[in-house]
Amino acid sequence: MTQTTGRLIRRMFWRQRRDTALCAAFWSLHQLCEALVPVAIGLVIDQAVGTGSTSAMAWSVLGIFALFTALTMGWRSGFWFLSRAVTEESHELRMRVVRRVVGGQGLRTSRQSGELLSIATSDTQSAAELLELGTRGVSALVGLTVSTVVLLRIDWSLGLGLVVGVPILVLGLNALGPVVGRRTSAQQQAVGRAAATASDLLRGLRPLRGFGGVDEAVGRYRTASRTSLRAGIGTVKAGATFVGASTFTTGLLITAVAALAGWYALDGRITVGQLITIVGLATFLTDPVLNLADCVFRLATARASAARVAEVLAAPERVPSGTRTAEPGTLSLDTVHAPGLDGVDLAVAPGELLGIVTAETSTADDLTDLLAGARPPDRGEVRLAGTPMRELDLASLRRTVLVEPHGVDLFGATLREVLQTGDDRDDAALRAAMASAAVGDLLADDAGFDRELVDHGLNLSGGQRQRLALTRALLADRPVTVFRDPTTAIDAVTEHAIADGIRAYRAGDDRATVLVTTSAPLLDRCDRVVFLRAGRVAAVGRHRDLLADSSYAEVVLR
Amino acid sequence: MTPGATILPVATGRVTLTAFWRALRRYPLLAWASVAAATAASVAAVVVPILLGRLVDLVVAGGTVGSLLLTSALILGAGLAAAILTGAANWLVTEWGMRACADLREEVLDRALRMDATRLESAGSGDVASRVTEDVERVTDSVRLAAGIFTALVTVVITFAGFATLDWRIAAAFLVVFPVYVLSLRRFVPQAKRLYAAEREAAAVRTQSVLNTFTGARTVHAYGMQERQSRRVEQASRHAVVARLRAVRGFLWFANTMNYAEALGLTAVLLTGFLLVRAGDSTVGDVTAAALLFHRLFGPLGLLLMSFNDIQSAGAALARLVGISGLDVPATRPARPISGWLPTSVTAKSVWHRYPGGPAVVQDVSIEIAEGQSLAIVGESGAGKTTLAAILGGVFPAAEGEVWLGDRRIGELDPAELRRTVGVVTQEVHVFAGTLADDLRLAAPAASDDDLHAALRLVEADGWVNALPDGLSTRVGDGEHPLTAGQAQQVALARIALLDPPIVVLDEASAEAGSAGARQLERASAALIRGRTAVVVAHRLSQAHTCDRIAVMAHGRIVELGAPDDLVAAGGRYAELWSAWRR
Repeated sequence: MTQTTGRLIRRMFWRQRRDTALCAAFWSLHQLCEALVPVAIGLVIDQAVGTGSTSAMAWSVLGIFALFTALTMGWRSGFWFLSRAVTEESHELRMRVVRRVVGGQGLRTSRQSGELLSIATSDTQSAAELLELGTRGVSALVGLTVSTVVLLRIDWSLGLGLVVGVPILVLGLNALGPVVGRRTSAQQQAVGRAAATASDLLRGLRPLRGFGGVDEAVGRYRTASRTSLRAGIGTVKAGATFVGASTFTTGLLITAVAALAGWYALDGRITVGQLITIVGLATFLTDPVLNLADCVFRLATARASAARVAEVLAAPERVPSGTRTAEPGTLSLDTVHAPGLDGVDLAVAPGELLGIVTAETSTADDLTDLLAGARPPDRGEVRLAGTPMRELDLASLRRTVLVEPHGVDLFGATLREVLQTGDDRDDAALRAAMASAAVGDLLADDAGFDRELVDHGLNLSGGQRQRLALTRALLADRPVTVFRDPTTAIDAVTEHAIADGIRAYRAGDDRATVLVTTSAPLLDRCDRVVFLRAGRVAAVGRHRDLLADSSYAEVVLR
Repeated sequence: MTPGATILPVATGRVTLTAFWRALRRYPLLAWASVAAATAASVAAVVVPILLGRLVDLVVAGGTVGSLLLTSALILGAGLAAAILTGAANWLVTEWGMRACADLREEVLDRALRMDATRLESAGSGDVASRVTEDVERVTDSVRLAAGIFTALVTVVITFAGFATLDWRIAAAFLVVFPVYVLSLRRFVPQAKRLYAAEREAAAVRTQSVLNTFTGARTVHAYGMQERQSRRVEQASRHAVVARLRAVRGFLWFANTMNYAEALGLTAVLLTGFLLVRAGDSTVGDVTAAALLFHRLFGPLGLLLMSFNDIQSAGAALARLVGISGLDVPATRPARPISGWLPTSVTAKSVWHRYPGGPAVVQDVSIEIAEGQSLAIVGESGAGKTTLAAILGGVFPAAEGEVWLGDRRIGELDPAELRRTVGVVTQEVHVFAGTLADDLRLAAPAASDDDLHAALRLVEADGWVNALPDGLSTRVGDGEHPLTAGQAQQVALARIALLDPPIVVLDEASAEAGSAGARQLERASAALIRGRTAVVVAHRLSQAHTCDRIAVMAHGRIVELGAPDDLVAAGGRYAELWSAWRR
């Protein structure tokens, strides 16, 4: 894991090498100028203020503006290149995570979609900020080096003191880092929990009011909020210790350098101007020292984010893809054993409309997963046109077999976008599919297919969403299409219309269709119905004939 | 902008400030300690460069090593004091802010949960949720920033005082920076507001797009539309990149003018010092100290100016929070809860209802449900079934007309009394995060484990609950052990069983559980209804058929009312629905 994180970080820097290098260069220039500000002050006081020379003072003013121009240009350019590098890199990482999560058959990971979301949005950002830490660290080192060189030129002992002293200070401050870091992550968790409690309660607000749980809910949130407050105060204390410690160490540094330089000046070893320069440099030094300490301090958090991103990118696929190209043909289960299935044989041939009824709801889930190739059977084989599914190349399998999930997810901002999944289809095709799914009413207003759907169709009713998903599946027009309970949110009258619509739309010798459902209107239109009970095929036949079987009737009649 | 945004109030600047001030004043000890520590820390920090200036003067005057040592010791002492005081100030100010913030967020959630039902229904829960989560987070995050700003402000004031002790004329020279700051802020702030708002919006769209893709990953896989969907996310993410960089560019312009303001200030200070020293009015040491002091101001001044935006956005979030916390809560009427009063009948008298700005969804409904009777409401979606049920259950009041529970108007009851009387299962089902026992105890905090098991048994949920990995202690809800739609429905019914009210209103969506599951739920509802007065919004006609009476609704009116068999025999609308259902 550390290895992959390290590789990820190296690649980040390599991808953004141009912008980060430019940023480091410009920020080093900026540090140089910052270091020169106290030097310049010393110089001005020594040469102009001390002597009272007007021309020296005029030059000083010009010099200060020149210095500040260079300073601000350096900082500005550096910040621009850095922002570009960080923003572009977080975009790059985000897209890699997204492609990884939706690619293939999905990831085998224990993380929930909420966690994946935070990895794709905030962790990618935080990981990209490693670029900032790197460039800031480099420029702080440059600033320190310049100060050291200036001090060395004035007096070697002062410079040497700095070379030895600063690393000790930075390392000492970092020893405090882990303490603060631990507290911070504990606090973030507690704060996150309080926020999660609040949003959970609000999402359940209507049910909550229905059973009068508001008082209890308020009490629970208060507990979560107080826990988060306690954790927060804990971090603040740790953070305050860090701030105090860093203020003190830099103060120590300043005092030591100033006292020593003062002594040298009294001794005549250095001039007053040099003393002022040294005192100025000593005050400037606090910046790069604190900067370095802060970089190392934040390194742990950014690295943890990078590790999470690396983990997702390196996660294995849930099901590996095969290599053989899928051909249309009969989709069959050959003596398949899987959870919920205990040696099941069934097949749907091109031209057939097959109904599958499961007495147990969970068996329907297992069955659709198997048909989608989302999980391999424990024993037995799922075949398409005779070829075991696990040997098939995923992309071609997806072009041949569509298993429309029961939970409806729509993508896109307009009706047209929501319905398109591959090659664009013309309006007549869209209209025909919508008519088959009995959802033509959505076209009623002037906007037609450009009708806007707020929040990916979340403003539509459950029945409308279900019918749109159905339309989308029909439009995709795969040789084999499997529907799972496509009409649960639809009233009985419409359900009959949809049953006729599906049958008519999928008619054709090369189209195989499977309806995994317990809806009588749908089953009534099927050529054949397979009834699964207790993991086995209990009966096969036409719906009306099977109704004589009381255990079948029990499942499909309402 | 959602329509709700106009309905949930946002506090004005003055009200927000007052509320903020009040929240802060709740901790007078912390407040005074914070001010004292921050002031002392700034004084100590300002003393350091002044002493450094003394050190230069001492050397110029050719002082003794002893006095040099003394000055150095003073510098070290000031440094140590500054360190301790800075740490303490940092801690005190942040704790002060955090406590105030915790009070505020608890108050906001309390108000949000108790909000007037009509307002909530029309505002929608989205706006409330974003306030209670995102705005609270933004305000909490800004506490640290606010603490930094507070200390920076004190530092600026104290440093300025430091200037004044050196020489008032140098202090006056320092003031030239302010016109530059004011001018550039006046140009930058409106522009920044726009740029940052655009950036936040683009980021929100991007997050929504990623979330939608991840939750719909199954569908993306099913269609093999990875490329198409990734491109969609890429587009949103690219927009966010552009918006971000645009904001950065605006900010850089501002930072640029600030650097020049610093150059201007430094020149002014040095030039004044130059003239003063030449005239013999000041010492080189004083000018050194002034220049160093000014140099030290760059940091805090920069923090103050750069955080202008964050302050503004935190201020906007705070205004939205105060807007909620200032809402009136439907008054509780503790004066007249009548102990032992348990009505058993529900009566609606010419009830009308419309949502703000919409057409009437319930029109002139009058109905009486006597003790122990059950009424099923059926009809097409949009007929007003759910609204009528909610009004009968006292979830929100009717716009016109009256609902009576027994001998009292529903509006006269205090909320606790109402819930003891009527239990409502809403169409929305929610499994609350936490253990299953915690979820159930939201309805009855004092219930024992045995009570919980009994309630679960009543709704036929005992089987799967006992099979859970940790039984009642299994963590359920968001991201935890998933419950099926049917199981979540059973939990909702079990909560009402624990509450044990004489009247129940059930508006459940049982179809999602599949035919077998739906039948199980129907049995559970029937068990719950037994011995109670009940209103059932029936999405499955088999369920309606078991009730004593059926009301068929269309366009907000009850168009048919009677016993199931009578309605079928009458051959009206219900008969039509029933035959489609049976087919």
